[in-house]
Amino acid sequence: MSAPVEVVLSADSAGQLFNCAVFDPHSGSEFLSYRGGNTSSRSLTVLNGEYILGAQLGKNFINVWEIQRKDQLQQKIVCPGIVTCLCASPDGLYVLAGIAEAIYLWEMSTGNLLAILSRHYQDVSCIRFTDDSSHFVSGGKDNLALIWNLSSVVQLDSSRTPEPCHILSRHSLPITDIHCGLMGPQARVATASLDQTVKVWEVSSGEMLLSVLFDVGIMSVTFDPCEYFLFCGGSDGNIFQVSLCSTSLSRDKTFQTDSDGNQVFKGHRNLVTCLSVSMDGTLLLSGSNDETVRMWDVQSKQCIWSINHKGHVTNAVIIPAPANMFLADSHPAVPLPRFSRHLNPSEQGDGTGSGGMCLRLGASTQHFGLKTTDFKPLKCNRQQKRTHFACF
Amino acid sequence: MKTKKQKRQGDFQKIQLKVGKKKPKADNATNVNFRSKAIHLPEQLKHADSGPTTHRQLDIKDLLSKLHHINSNIKQGALVGLRELLSAQPTLIELHASAVLSEVAALFTDKDGSVRAAAVRLLRFIAQCISAERVAPFFPLLSAHLTCAMTHISEAIQEDALRVLDVLLEHYPGLLSQRHTVLLTNFLELISQKRKAGTGQDKSGKGGFALTISTNRSVTAQQWRLTVLLRLGSFLQAVVEERPLEEGVTSMIGLGMWAGEKGSVTSVDVSWEEHVFGKGRIQVFENSGAVPTPHSTYRLRPDSKAVAGMNKELCSAETVQGFAGTLVPLMLEIWVEAAGGDRVQTDSGHLLSAEAMALMFQILTILQLLRRLTPQRDQQDILDAWFRNSYLTDFKHHFMKNFPYGLLEVARHRKKADGKRIRQQQVATGTVAGGNVEPLALNVTLCQVMVTLSLRGQDHVEAEDADWLGTIRVFIRETLSNGGKLSSKHLAALLEVVWRMIVTQRSRVVTDDLLQAVYVQYQQRNLAVSVRTLLLHFFSQLYIQEHQNHPHIARSRILARWLASLPVQLVQLCSRNPQLSAQLLETIHPAAARGNKDLLQSLQKNACSIYDPQEGSVVVLPVESQKRLVQILHFLPTFPAELLACLSQVCNTGRVSASLATMLIRTIHLRSPLSGWSSSSQDVPVKDVDYLSFFFTTLTGFSSEMLQALQDTDEDGLMPSSTLSPLSVFTTTLEQFLHHWDVVEEVCHCLDTLGSRAQCFDVIQNAIIKNLCGLVVVPDCVCAAILRCVPRLLDVNFLPSDTLLHFLSDCCLSMLSLLLQLEQSARKRDAVWEACFAAMSTVPRLLRLVLQSLHVGDLCEEELPVLAQILSLLLQHTQLRNHMMANASLLQHIIQDLTHFYGGETREQWLTDLLYCYSVTLSGHRANMGMRDIY
Repeated sequence: MSAPVEVVLSADSAGQLFNCAVFDPHSGSEFLSYRGGNTSSRSLTVLNGEYILGAQLGKNFINVWEIQRKDQLQQKIVCPGIVTCLCASPDGLYVLAGIAEAIYLWEMSTGNLLAILSRHYQDVSCIRFTDDSSHFVSGGKDNLALIWNLSSVVQLDSSRTPEPCHILSRHSLPITDIHCGLMGPQARVATASLDQTVKVWEVSSGEMLLSVLFDVGIMSVTFDPCEYFLFCGGSDGNIFQVSLCSTSLSRDKTFQTDSDGNQVFKGHRNLVTCLSVSMDGTLLLSGSNDETVRMWDVQSKQCIWSINHKGHVTNAVIIPAPANMFLADSHPAVPLPRFSRHLNPSEQGDGTGSGGMCLRLGASTQHFGLKTTDFKPLKCNRQQKRTHFACF
Repeated sequence: MKTKKQKRQGDFQKIQLKVGKKKPKADNATNVNFRSKAIHLPEQLKHADSGPTTHRQLDIKDLLSKLHHINSNIKQGALVGLRELLSAQPTLIELHASAVLSEVAALFTDKDGSVRAAAVRLLRFIAQCISAERVAPFFPLLSAHLTCAMTHISEAIQEDALRVLDVLLEHYPGLLSQRHTVLLTNFLELISQKRKAGTGQDKSGKGGFALTISTNRSVTAQQWRLTVLLRLGSFLQAVVEERPLEEGVTSMIGLGMWAGEKGSVTSVDVSWEEHVFGKGRIQVFENSGAVPTPHSTYRLRPDSKAVAGMNKELCSAETVQGFAGTLVPLMLEIWVEAAGGDRVQTDSGHLLSAEAMALMFQILTILQLLRRLTPQRDQQDILDAWFRNSYLTDFKHHFMKNFPYGLLEVARHRKKADGKRIRQQQVATGTVAGGNVEPLALNVTLCQVMVTLSLRGQDHVEAEDADWLGTIRVFIRETLSNGGKLSSKHLAALLEVVWRMIVTQRSRVVTDDLLQAVYVQYQQRNLAVSVRTLLLHFFSQLYIQEHQNHPHIARSRILARWLASLPVQLVQLCSRNPQLSAQLLETIHPAAARGNKDLLQSLQKNACSIYDPQEGSVVVLPVESQKRLVQILHFLPTFPAELLACLSQVCNTGRVSASLATMLIRTIHLRSPLSGWSSSSQDVPVKDVDYLSFFFTTLTGFSSEMLQALQDTDEDGLMPSSTLSPLSVFTTTLEQFLHHWDVVEEVCHCLDTLGSRAQCFDVIQNAIIKNLCGLVVVPDCVCAAILRCVPRLLDVNFLPSDTLLHFLSDCCLSMLSLLLQLEQSARKRDAVWEACFAAMSTVPRLLRLVLQSLHVGDLCEEELPVLAQILSLLLQHTQLRNHMMANASLLQHIIQDLTHFYGGETREQWLTDLLYCYSVTLSGHRANMGMRDIY
């Protein structure tokens, strides 16, 4: 069997059968499952195609599996608090975790804790990176969504606390989900909220482009890759499809009446908590609190298959299949470091430093790619295996 | 022949004249016996197309040509004539604008005063008639003449030039502000002159100008300076206000800093219904979304062009510095003269004449405006730093010298001593141009100017500034907390000073000190609405904007106390001022969302009064505020049982719209751990027992007391119980019924999504049996709600108890007969039918019970048709058909009884219908059976 291009990764809150499992997006058959514990909502992420990270529900650690060794729990990363959301950057260099009101940023190569961002007033509910890892967006239960520039956050300037580039404050109830479109810093971000709206923003300017008001609170949101459609999972179990380019659409749909059922995916009986669209924009994956994961055909809005879980579905996502996933004898290129629990471990000095250098941008650079003169060298106690210039 | 000769003689007959005889009249003599009269032509004839004229018959060309006349009386007359002509014929102004304006402007520098006055009057008149766009082409000319007049050697002409300036400022501030380069130096030259280069005075750093004093003016030097400064002030004001607004540049001074965020991109707002029905077409992305909007701050490389174009405009720090460098020393000199010339004694240096006060006020206003000339934030900071470096010592020395005992003391002192006389004096002196300036206004402006010089949190500077900032602080504290009422203008300025001091000084003591004073002002009763709004706005913006960046503000006790007082105020305000309530909510909402402890505690304490179903804010305020209140519920720490009781009534009383009630129910559902949304559940906001009782109460829509009271009433809406309607049904109004119907829908949906359906149904069943089954009188909406929710919540494997089923069958029968007997609206009828049929088709035993309870023998004659109608309805319903067949024998029995007991001779329509339905149903069934037999 040739390896599939995309796979479905899903997890539930019960964790009876497995913590998370990998399915075929077309048939719904199970490929692999990873055991041990369960995963809380919006905290399952694949790091660099080599590890799967999932925050334990209600506990203060993160479960880590090597992606090819499904049975064995690789390690547990102990965190300072209960992890509410987790996200690894697409380039695999950083990991962000929302722990209570604060966002923790770790560097993957060293395990150093680079920053603790506490600009949210209440629990962080969701964090998403842009596809080029240059920015990230965090949304919290305090109705705020913040857009951060990664390079300004990792700046080595202790006198200045990092500020978000934009504060999106137009929601009036907690933010439930965030989806970041493609195109790096020029991407659009969709935020879903319990205030029954979905809002689309521009990352670069922080301006709101669109606000759609629904009848029910929205628990999850996603774009298709072309950003033709916005899919919004409601708290009543319906999935609403908003077409963002309706002029081009009307040409094809002259003979259809826009009746009510036409733009709604009906099938779930409870909150739709996760949504994800496949690479080609034809399949929509949804996970719900009614303990099912369903795959939909976007064009005809029919359910293709559905898988029953044993608890609320906490994560369901379509991802490109990592190369290592189906090669049992492969192993990660980089071993996972110990995650530090405190800021600036080098200053606390456990003294085993062996000449590794950590390079970070200086204070005056606003955006990546502007200046290369401000790098400040800093002693670091771990062997450096990866250069960091790639991310800047 | 002869005839010919005779004829010739006849022609030339000679008349002989004789002496003594009258001479006969010649044939061609002129008859002169007529009289003639004289014709006067006082004016020459004009051409017909010459157009309108003045009463002196002068047209516009004449008048314009007369303006060049050497005699000033004629010039003045022509100006007056022009004004008359143009006011009579306004269309002429547009036609001759260029000629008139250029000629009039030339007269600004006329050496005769009356001519200039007339010219100014004419200009004022013209300015009223022509818009700024139309004048724009001629404005360079006008301003050139104005400059000419302002710099004229004759002082009278200079004075009149200011009048011209007044007119232009009033009507064309935008155009005038573009000419700032020339005009600003003109202003300087009006009150000063350039020092000679050789004098070497520049060392003192006072710029190259020195104040001039001329003795031959009609006014004193001070008054003259005041008039000039007044004009300069209003000119700068025009420059500041007329600047084209740039994106993203908000003036961070004054109340502008409190303005909410403005989206420069117009976002698309649609609601789902509109979108679905094709009304709201969405086109979100410009340029196919490939290019970000121009408002984006994200730049791949810095824009080098933007910096270059600034210099010409009066908005960069350098240009302002250049101008201020000459102006400020002059103004300091004026200040010294005004302060010193008045009183010589040092101990009463704070007592000022009204004129000096006006002058000082003007100086401070100009200083303030100078700072506002730069719109960008960074430029403003540069400018502030420059002012501080160059002039802080001077300002401290001159401005602050007498401030502590201050000008406020003047007013008090005077009022105490001889208030009446002083007031008379003030009236007398108030006629000076510039008017009367209150000492408070002067003091407040002084504070504003001085406070901008204080720098943001640098420790070594703080100690330096402590002395003068201290006096300002004392002044502000006393002004705010002495119990006097302040006008909103002064208060706004004071609040701005407070804001700046709090942000720059970064000390908790200062913050609390100042906020306490503001809070005292806030706590006053009977404040004007504008003042109250201002104070509220100040606090809320202080909390929302600066809270995060400044821990000393966040920890302020006063702010915490203020936040805690908000819910109480909301309760007290009730429905008296919805705008103010909305503003309160605008602060409460974000504060609650940020989990502010003080606010949440207070909110929790007052929750029952805010959400009171009778007079709580949630029912009396307008819809927008109601919505906010419902959203705030989401952040409430806990929901005690009393609050849930209130909320349940709020949902059902109908003073909150159905959609809002749905939102409320959803909020409570989400807050409960039963909904499975909030994963972290250390603290339980809604206890499971309370949650279920809330939903049950909302489902019934009537509290137990209300139901109990209903048992004893005998109202019109009551339908007595009978065999066909075992319960006596209380009919509610259509509005109430439909509202409740919507609420029930949401309740069912929420209960439906609970984890264990069997347990949930068990609880509901027990509740129904305990609370409702014993009742005799039941409202129809309760019946409908019960019938609706039971089939939706019933688990397949769960057997409902007999008591419940009996009650349901009673409900079902009662509702059916009610519908048939009373005229009801279509919506209500459909809703009830749907509920009944759904219940009977999901629970077959219910149908059987209904049929069993139909004892035909007990019915009276009139009820038979109703029974028949019910039966035919049941038979017609396709979903019920199979279940009806299962009870075929029972049905047959009833119909037999029916025909038996109906004693009428003629066969009524209803009976025919019933029998027809019955036969159709049965035959269909038999056909099916037959088909089955065949296979």
